[in-house]
Parts: sequence; C-alpha cells; structure tokens
Amino acid sequence: MTPRIQEISQLDRVIHEPARLAIMLILGGVGEADFLYLQREGGFTQGNLSGHLAKLEEAGYVAIEKKFKGKVPLTVCSLTGKGTAAFAEYSNRMLGLLQPNGSSGSPPP
Amino acid sequence: MKDNSTTPMASPGQRAASYWFVDGLPEILVGMTLLIFGAMGLWLRAHVPTSSTRFELFILAAGFLLFLWKSRAILDFLKSRVTYPRTGYVRPPEESARPDVLITLSLKPSPPPDENVTRFQLRTVTVILCWWFFLDGMNPWKRWCVPLAMPALAVTLYALNRNSERPFRWWSALILALTGPALLWLDVPTLLQPPLPVLLAGGWLVTNGACTLVHYLRANPHPRAPEGVRA
Repeated sequence: MTPRIQEISQLDRVIHEPARLAIMLILGGVGEADFLYLQREGGFTQGNLSGHLAKLEEAGYVAIEKKFKGKVPLTVCSLTGKGTAAFAEYSNRMLGLLQPNGSSGSPPP
Repeated sequence: MKDNSTTPMASPGQRAASYWFVDGLPEILVGMTLLIFGAMGLWLRAHVPTSSTRFELFILAAGFLLFLWKSRAILDFLKSRVTYPRTGYVRPPEESARPDVLITLSLKPSPPPDENVTRFQLRTVTVILCWWFFLDGMNPWKRWCVPLAMPALAVTLYALNRNSERPFRWWSALILALTGPALLWLDVPTLLQPPLPVLLAGGWLVTNGACTLVHYLRANPHPRAPEGVRA
C-alpha cells in the first residue's frame, strides 16, 4: 500500500460522507443557517438531515441551538471551532491527495 | 432552492447573499424610503423658499441615512415573519463598502474571500442618492435634465449590479430608462425636477421588489412549521 493510499484511510470519516460534507461546506460558507435552509439548500429529507446533524453534533463539529427571530423559533446550526479546524484539515488533505504529484499540505482555499 | 437571481451562484456564501434578496423585501423597503423622502423633497421645493431648500435637503439626507442604518433591524423583523418560516434562515450578508475594482487594480494579494456579502447599498442606494445631489446643481439644463438623467441612471444601476448578488433584468432597467423621456410629455416645472429621479427610482425599486415578493409567495405558498426538527 502506497503512502498516498494509506492517507485516504486517514481521512475524517465523519466529514467524508457526502451529505455531511455538504452540510459542512454550506455552514462553512454562510456562518450559520437554520434547519429549513439546510434542508432546502442540500436537498435533504428531514430525517436524513436530522441524522447527519446529530452525527456532526456528536463529533463536536456543529453546534445546534434554538434562537428566536422576533417571535419565530429557529433551530440554528453553525460550525464550532473544532468543526472549522477539522474541515480545514480535511480540505487540506483532500487537495493534497487530488494533486497529480500527491503532495499534501497545501493551504486550504 | 428557487430564487429569482439570474446569475448562477456557485459558492454557499454567494448563494446566501443572493438569498437575502429572494423575497424582494430589501428593495421594497429602500424603494418606499426613497419615495417618502423624494416626496418630502418635492414638497419642500414647492412650498419652502429656495434659500432654505439646501438646508432642508441636508436634513432629509441625514434622516435617510439614519433610516438606512436601522433598515437591517426592520428587514430582520419582516423576514422573520415572511421568509424564515417559508424557506429558512441563513446569516444575513455583511454590507461591504469595498468595491471590486480596487481589488482588481491592487498589486497586493487580495484578502481571503468573504462571499456572504452584499453591496446593494453601495451599488444601488448610494448611486440614486448621488444622482439626486448631482441633478440638484443642474438646473441650467432645464427640462432636459431629468429625461436625460433617467436613462443614464438606469444604465449605471444595470451595469453596476450586473454580476452582483442581486442583478436587475435588462427590461426592468429599460422601463426605468424610459420614464425619463416619458417626462418630456409632462410639463414639470424646473424647480421640481431634481427630486423626480429619486421618486421614479423609488417607485421602480418598489415595483421590482413587489414583483419578486409576489413570485416568492406564489412559489412558497404554504409556510412549513416555524420550527425545524431538532437533530
């Protein structure tokens, strides 16, 4: 097994799943969003999104809190510091793996 | 997600900035404000002696800026009742006063891109206000002042916002442009002409926003439960 192939197995599996990667990508770009926005933006079903958010919250990557905008309650999700760092590391590793020479360590975009 | 923007937005941040305008409320609010303050300017020009008009316009402009300062809170209140229950909440874009051209011309490396930003106030509201003060000093042009200014204003607004998070459609800009020549048929006194672009632009923004709002409400007629399912 080459080091490059070995590195694939070291990817963060919590983030690597496509739906969770999409959630991390959206939250990384917008700062914070509520459940309904994430559901529509990612094309998730309620149950699917709930399950993936639960896993991300359990890993400490996403914070979920109840907020009020006026009198309307919202379930707002945002990336935690740990989540931001993990996502940056994941991006870094993936970019390195996808480069032709396979050199990891390039800064994340 | 359905929205009315004509430019495809690739990144989540740009889509979030575009989402801010999906309901037309920002345009309606700014348009209403322009209409109110333009009407006040018109009334002042008609009823107050010319010597004090400048001072009164300055007071109006100060009031307008105060209103713009508070407009985010008003919009948040409106969106929490109209938009967030229907299509969800995302953090509102930052108002950026940094024009793109400065980054392009700068030799320094650009700062990290913050894509959830809007320049609506810089590219639209400020341009309309500048037109107001610019036209205020163009009375020698008499009756050709506004008819020529409106197409120029329409072209400026269209060009500046063409690649922004809220582009205007070409036919919408054409309507704004045609309001100028249409005024040639109306015998508007020269003294009353400078506030007219503000009134027309305000009405145009309100109409734009209202059309967007109607489209949005028709596309999202049944608000879902206001609270999402807790993960």
